[in-house]
Amino acid sequence: MSRRIAIVEDEAAIRENYADVLRKQGYEVQTYANRKDAMSAFDIRLPNLAIIDIGLENEIDGGFTLCQSLRSLSDTLPIIFLTARDNDFDTVSGLRMGADDYLTKDISLPHLTARIAALFRRLDVIDQPPSPENLLQRGKLSLDIGRLTVQWDGQAIPLTVTEFWMVHALAKYPGHVKSRQVLMQESKIFVDGSTITSHIKRIRKKFMQLDADFDCIETVYGMGYRWNVEAAPTH
Amino acid sequence: MSLALKSPFGIRSKLVFLSSFLLVIPWLGYQYILEMEDVLRRGQEQTVLGTAQALATALNERPELFNEGNYSPATRSQDLYVYPIYSPISLVDGSLSDWGEYQQYEVGYDARDYLRTSLNPVRPYSKEETLQFRTMLGDYNGFLYAYFKVTDDHVVYRDSEALTVHRSDFLQITMLSREGNEVNRYVIAPYEAEPIYPFKVRPDYSEPTYEERIIGQWYDTNNGYAVELRIPMEMLGDRLGFAIFDVDDSVARDVNTVVATYRVDDSELLGSLRLPTPEIDRIVAGMGHNNSRIQVVDRSGRVLLTVGDIQSATGLLISPDPEENQTNKYWLYVQDKILNPLYYRILSKPSNDFIDELYSDVTRDGAHIDSALQGSPMTQFRTLADTETRLLEAAHPIIANNEVMGAVVVDQNMNGLRSFRNQALEQLFNTILAVMVIVVFGLFFFASRISTRIRGLRNQAEGIIDDSGRVQNTIVPSRNSDEIGDLSRSFSNIVERLTQYTKYLENMSSRLSHELRTPVTVVRSSIENLGMAENSEESAVYIERAEEGIKRLNLILTNMSEATRLEQMLQTSEKEKINLCEVVSGCVEGYKLAYTEAKFELDLPNYAIYINGVPEYIAQLLDKLIANAVEFSYKDQPITIYCRALRDHVVLKVTNAGPFLPEEMKDRLFDSMISVRPQEKQNQPHLGMGLHIARLITDFHGGKIRAENRPDREGVIVSVVIPLYYNK
Repeated sequence: MSRRIAIVEDEAAIRENYADVLRKQGYEVQTYANRKDAMSAFDIRLPNLAIIDIGLENEIDGGFTLCQSLRSLSDTLPIIFLTARDNDFDTVSGLRMGADDYLTKDISLPHLTARIAALFRRLDVIDQPPSPENLLQRGKLSLDIGRLTVQWDGQAIPLTVTEFWMVHALAKYPGHVKSRQVLMQESKIFVDGSTITSHIKRIRKKFMQLDADFDCIETVYGMGYRWNVEAAPTH
Repeated sequence: MSLALKSPFGIRSKLVFLSSFLLVIPWLGYQYILEMEDVLRRGQEQTVLGTAQALATALNERPELFNEGNYSPATRSQDLYVYPIYSPISLVDGSLSDWGEYQQYEVGYDARDYLRTSLNPVRPYSKEETLQFRTMLGDYNGFLYAYFKVTDDHVVYRDSEALTVHRSDFLQITMLSREGNEVNRYVIAPYEAEPIYPFKVRPDYSEPTYEERIIGQWYDTNNGYAVELRIPMEMLGDRLGFAIFDVDDSVARDVNTVVATYRVDDSELLGSLRLPTPEIDRIVAGMGHNNSRIQVVDRSGRVLLTVGDIQSATGLLISPDPEENQTNKYWLYVQDKILNPLYYRILSKPSNDFIDELYSDVTRDGAHIDSALQGSPMTQFRTLADTETRLLEAAHPIIANNEVMGAVVVDQNMNGLRSFRNQALEQLFNTILAVMVIVVFGLFFFASRISTRIRGLRNQAEGIIDDSGRVQNTIVPSRNSDEIGDLSRSFSNIVERLTQYTKYLENMSSRLSHELRTPVTVVRSSIENLGMAENSEESAVYIERAEEGIKRLNLILTNMSEATRLEQMLQTSEKEKINLCEVVSGCVEGYKLAYTEAKFELDLPNYAIYINGVPEYIAQLLDKLIANAVEFSYKDQPITIYCRALRDHVVLKVTNAGPFLPEEMKDRLFDSMISVRPQEKQNQPHLGMGLHIARLITDFHGGKIRAENRPDREGVIVSVVIPLYYNK
């Protein structure tokens, strides 16, 4: 049974382009132009994944409202914001609403499909026992590449797919400096440098909520970031 | 900032200067009152002269008032002239000194006035006789005063046992009775020098009866004796005579010689008694002038009559100010202690305690009297030396039978006018002082208020635009309806529009990028879809080119919104204590990797420089500066990064060797969407956002950024000044 993806986007051309690509990938795609249509459809039946634009027709923040409603209907439904708004404030708001990822429309279609596939995979493997070959252990950090989940000192950290790929890119080779460009490629997004900076900041914050002394992601000024093994003496 | 010369005078001082012209007002008032005083003085002059004229007219053509002999020049005459006396005469002091200057009017009688009487019927006047006397008559307080200075070589007193009164030296007074029908004779024949004891006698000197109303004193002098006496006026008729009977032989006691003022034995030949005439008195009193002193003088300047005294002759009736009692005492204190001493530095306050030395004179002189006696009326002013009192004196001739008989002299002192003037001036000065204080303070307050408001507006106007020329603040529109309020409102309006426009410009790139993003996305997703669907060789090339174009378009859009995004992030960022040297050196290491073809020279101090900041932004700032420096640097020329702490701030300089900056662009370099790149350099999209972002970050750190041409060689220095970290 094919997975159903709902696209809520008021720009018809974009909506149809995305729908076409996803349909070619074998997904069943339903498209909605505004929040009302989408909500009435979701009330009847939830999709397996939702891609939402923030500005919907005459509602500037209609996407946020929709995301909240969806999250109240289902805790596990993957929600992706796909929007032209690239500022930090909207990103933070969107992720706080419970979205699984926040993407700008700069993203290329292959990257988008890869991300959707990753999210579905994460859903699929959630019940299966972790396979050891998919595990990456760096000190207290353990990454499950198959499930796209992260644990720090045995406790799960809720990272978005983008964030997971960034942490993975850094932790794969501890001590190696990864430039912002590399991080962008690894996390399959296309943004400017300052967006990477704010992504890193958010990742640090998530770790520090569990461990206030977390300092494994080090900024190398002018070059990028690197993963420090926590045993290594810092500062 | 402003090129205008700073005027040393503000509105306030200008207004105060202008209001100093108000000082003309008291001067004008002073002049006006002086003028008024002059007019009043002329009026007073006319009044006084008018009074004199009126009196003179009343006395005109009445020559009998000035009868020859009545007040005739003091020559021997059978008529007796009675001078008015103004001070009391003592009869018992044994001296004539209290007659004082009146003695100059005494009249002498000698052998020429020899009289044959029944007591010396046959004796002719002998040449050896030395009998003579001098006498003077005065009128004081209803009494006739007289003295007789008798020169007599043998003074023979009355025999102590004698009953007769004519067998010794004696003085006989003969007078017509009040009723005019009887001749009374009185004899004063003392036993020795003693208070006189007069007797009324019959013509043959019999039946002496004591007359108590005549009192006086007889005393001896070196060459004879003197008699002082007084007779009540009511005893006197209009004729009077005196005779001195001299007895030289104390045994025979016959009268040798008689010297008399008249033909004593003939009542018809008695001399007339010339008293100050009540006629003139009545006329003068009828004029009813108590505000001037009126005198009537005869042709020789002798004062015949005086009415009023000069001290109270002010000419004006000045009633005391009734409000004086009602005004409060503080004001009176201020008036007395502060204002009046000030005023009377310029005003003279005459006193009424003056003495007119001419007043006590029996005769008057002066140019006005001379002129009047010549026949023409005249007024004159006289200033008394000691008290600065001015006297107004007018004289008018009295004419009878085309001949000047005398003059009426009317005197007034000017103190009344002066006091009146002073009162007016005081009041004027008080009023003007009050008005001026109010006006000057009012103007000062007004000017202060205006200049404060203008200064406030100027400060606001200067505060609108910061050093880099950006609109920072607004002007609070004034609610005042006047011109300054209007100016403030129109300023506010302008600034508001300017702010809107600036905001529009600043946000334009961001909004543009946002608006463009959707169609770009449409194009890109379509092309990508096309790329997935079509597999022909030919189309793949075009699709690839289209994707390349889209990618560049995307980069442009991202750059365009970078500044806006950064600004939003800055608002939520928190600063921390960072070592700037560490950040800079780390970054430069990175640039060495990133820009392999460029050379970097790092000039850092060997100490740590701490600032309060966000390292990522500092790195971003450096990124932009280095990117610019690399781009504009000549090949193989090093880019210097210099960093030093200087007092309380840190100076960070990025220097490159390259083309100079265009002069006119220096200040605008850090504005949004400003680029000085030559067209051929545009192999990469540039929107002029780099240095704008650099400035945003510098501003966020409370610093300043500046670009200038290198003084030593071709090249540009961009310097960033950021305050050092300090512990609060």
